[in-house]
Amino acid sequence: MILGRVVATERRPNTPHEFHFWTALDSPVGIGTIVRVAGPPTGDGRLLSVYGVVVEGFSYTDLQTPLHDVLGADGDPANALRAPTDRTEIRLYTAHALRHVPDEPLQPVPMGEVHLATDDDIAIALRMDGYLRDDQRTAIPIGVYRSGAAQSPIYLDADFLLGPEAAHLNISGVSGLATKTSAVEWLLSAIFAHFPARKGSVAAVCFNVKGPDLCFLDLPSDKLDDADRALYEATGVPAAPFADVQYYAPWTARGHALATLRTNEALAHNVHPLSWGLREVLQYAEVLLNKDDVDAKADALIDFIRERVVNQEFSDGILPRAHSVRSFADLEQWFRDVLRGMEANDAETWRTHHVATIRKVRNRLTNISTRCRGLVTDDGTSHDLPFGEFRDRAVYVIDVAASEDDAQDLIFARVVSQLREQLERRTLGVDHVVVFVDELNKYAPSDGPDTYVRQMLLDIAERGRYLGLVLFAAQQFRSQVHRRVVGNCGTALFGRMDMDELATPGYATLAPATRIKLSTLDKGQLMVRHPHFAQPVFVRFPRPAVLGGREGVERYPAEPEPSLETAVTRTLRRLDASVTLEWVKQAIVAAPEDEVLRARNRTLQARPEDVKAYFRAQFRSRVATEPVTARPASLPLAGSGSSDPYGF
Amino acid sequence: MRDALRALRHAGAVVASAEAPLEMRPVVADPPRLQRAEPLEARTVLVHRVEGEPVVGIAAFLDGIQESRVLAHWRDGVPIVHGTVAAAIRRRAGRTLTAWRADAVRVERSLFVPRSAVGEAAWSALASAGSVRDTLDEERAGAWHPQELTARALSAVQRRREALEVACAELWCGEGDGPLFVDGGIAAAGAAAHSALAIGVVKSHRTLYVDGDALPVVLGLRAGERTTTFTVTSPRRASVASWYLRLRDPQGHDALWGLVRVEVALDAGRPERADLVSRWLLAERAPVSLPDPRWGAMAYGIRLTEEYLRAVTR
Repeated sequence: MILGRVVATERRPNTPHEFHFWTALDSPVGIGTIVRVAGPPTGDGRLLSVYGVVVEGFSYTDLQTPLHDVLGADGDPANALRAPTDRTEIRLYTAHALRHVPDEPLQPVPMGEVHLATDDDIAIALRMDGYLRDDQRTAIPIGVYRSGAAQSPIYLDADFLLGPEAAHLNISGVSGLATKTSAVEWLLSAIFAHFPARKGSVAAVCFNVKGPDLCFLDLPSDKLDDADRALYEATGVPAAPFADVQYYAPWTARGHALATLRTNEALAHNVHPLSWGLREVLQYAEVLLNKDDVDAKADALIDFIRERVVNQEFSDGILPRAHSVRSFADLEQWFRDVLRGMEANDAETWRTHHVATIRKVRNRLTNISTRCRGLVTDDGTSHDLPFGEFRDRAVYVIDVAASEDDAQDLIFARVVSQLREQLERRTLGVDHVVVFVDELNKYAPSDGPDTYVRQMLLDIAERGRYLGLVLFAAQQFRSQVHRRVVGNCGTALFGRMDMDELATPGYATLAPATRIKLSTLDKGQLMVRHPHFAQPVFVRFPRPAVLGGREGVERYPAEPEPSLETAVTRTLRRLDASVTLEWVKQAIVAAPEDEVLRARNRTLQARPEDVKAYFRAQFRSRVATEPVTARPASLPLAGSGSSDPYGF
Repeated sequence: MRDALRALRHAGAVVASAEAPLEMRPVVADPPRLQRAEPLEARTVLVHRVEGEPVVGIAAFLDGIQESRVLAHWRDGVPIVHGTVAAAIRRRAGRTLTAWRADAVRVERSLFVPRSAVGEAAWSALASAGSVRDTLDEERAGAWHPQELTARALSAVQRRREALEVACAELWCGEGDGPLFVDGGIAAAGAAAHSALAIGVVKSHRTLYVDGDALPVVLGLRAGERTTTFTVTSPRRASVASWYLRLRDPQGHDALWGLVRVEVALDAGRPERADLVSRWLLAERAPVSLPDPRWGAMAYGIRLTEEYLRAVTR
């Protein structure tokens, strides 16, 4: 069906990259519609086809001035409706060329018939034909392009989404419209369903930074409607939740429960603690220490402690005993002895480190466990992600929503560093890892101090694709994210955007109508930029097939932080179903709370055969308690019955 | 046009530099005049308020255009004129106008040449390149004033345009299915002049069909008023029933602004029919035909038809 005709005037000529066409008033054309121009035969007899996407639309009548219409209606708008003839109106569209076939010589778009693009046309227009071929298929569906009644799946190239050609994805959109998180959930489903086996294995690590957004990825949604199911069917993605999801969260400050909204007992089977001891934290001390803290002198002392003190026997003449520093508590004791020894010797320096530097580093390091309480343990126990045992198509959610900023930074830095190191060594367990980070503007802002986390994100963005470490990042305002981070994202998705954001220079390349459309997108609509697409295209994606955060917390309400005994019982029962509350009460009676928590943590870390015995063994031996018997009544003094107290 | 130019060069004509269309040149027209017409509806011409609201009744619009320019000069200053004439009927479909049928859109491009002035050899050479029409309908010995030849060429172009309009009008009146708004009079429209379907609307008033006593009646018409009907008779044209109708209030304009003269077949000139046709025409006041300078008396449907013809002739 002919949709329109290409037109060009001297004032508005066509170029190789832009052309204009008119249509009937009721044509199914809008901003984002993909069209094909059927041009004349080329010199070698082939038919020229130019594919384009509509970026601007104009409508006007033969009126020279609105005043003429006012005059014609005698100033009464109702009269205009009574006119027997509508004014002649034109629908004129501007399209940006997506592709010329043949592509040489590249000439201005010729006058020709304009057709709505078919599925095949869209594959050619977006250069998807190269990666949709059966033998080299690397297509990952991102959504469905809709034009009138037609629906065409749009695919990204896995080589350009997960590397090695290009990689990384950035998604922008205003908050609260269920776009950013939903789009990433949907895209992860699509990747897991379509990532070709010959390209290796893939897993995802998602940082849940707010509320319960990612807390129920393993539970099915009850909100999918027929339209959603049709989209899943059209794209060949199962409308099912993720099959393999593991959750990690630090402990709360009290340590009785994990700091996550997924604390309902019914969902506890795949929720794990995330806590690190001194050894794990000291590697990333820079994350928590700003430049004012860590000058060259302090840095040297931290290196000394890391290399010479931690996790080994350390002796020195000024120390009263040998130290084996394995926890923050041990480190504090070590510092105390060093400073005492210096005082005793009236020394200002020790091993070239000035006493002021030692005091400063002591202060900064030992309060990390306070600043990151729940994540960093004083006792040195560690619960970590299963580095080395990552599984194909598994999602690892790290819930940092309830953590302080310092703890979030530390978690992010350490997890990503571990992923990078293990991917480099090929020991992670999978070949590709997608790291999803929301609120990227917080971690990699365009301005502000140059933090360790920002440097790390820059490093991933610039070099991660060679390792299989892929960054999926989301933020409300793309303009507030470091240019090199977003600039290195091969694929960009845009949900509904704020007009102020669209007025920033980063969006200047978009046509005004495209910007307006971006500011009015519905839920489930995205604009997609991808290296293969010469111009951005608009797609629809289905609601994620997972239970939403809000519905999840309603159906599985978070439980209040339990008492110490209940918390320990719940934890140990996951290792040994015979553990009862009564048994725990008996086992921990009279033990101080920090000792009970340490015992729980060590048991959880060791996962021993005999849970009860191991747990009991963690407590310092105490004198066995005896039941208190009734005190014998005092014998009455002789003669006490007399009223004379002196009488014998 | 390109073929014509090539043929002219080949025949030895001097190609003219780009000149304005002949229609844009000042012409000496007949002087304005008053001409008495025989009243039909009353004994004298009277003012009659059109009763009832304007109502949509027009089913189609007929208009024609012409454009001619001197393309070359033959020996002795004989002008060779290229003329484009076109006429079309645009039919109302809902609130838009569309083509009625293919043969209701007629376009002709011809050279208008004084045959006797250029000689048979040149005539044959030009005729071999395309359509050529003789602008002289009389044999006359001697030389011609070049301007007279130009005026005759312009007249010939006009006659061809009128012929196309008449052909279209007759087509509609034979096979059309509703009132046809004809831009201009219908008295010369052949069979259409006798059809109840054709409604001629005349916007120019160089001849006012009233005598001196009735002139104030016509000029004093207010918007929505018409005169009583009268008969317009001409020796070489059909007699038609006619009346003046004020479409828009002339306040701030000259007295003839917003005034049209309506022509219908003599049989269709009954007062009630005149009222109904007037209501149809009053309904066509909106939307206005601006920016056309004749918008006071021009129906938007006619403007659209003109624009359509300009588009198809360029």
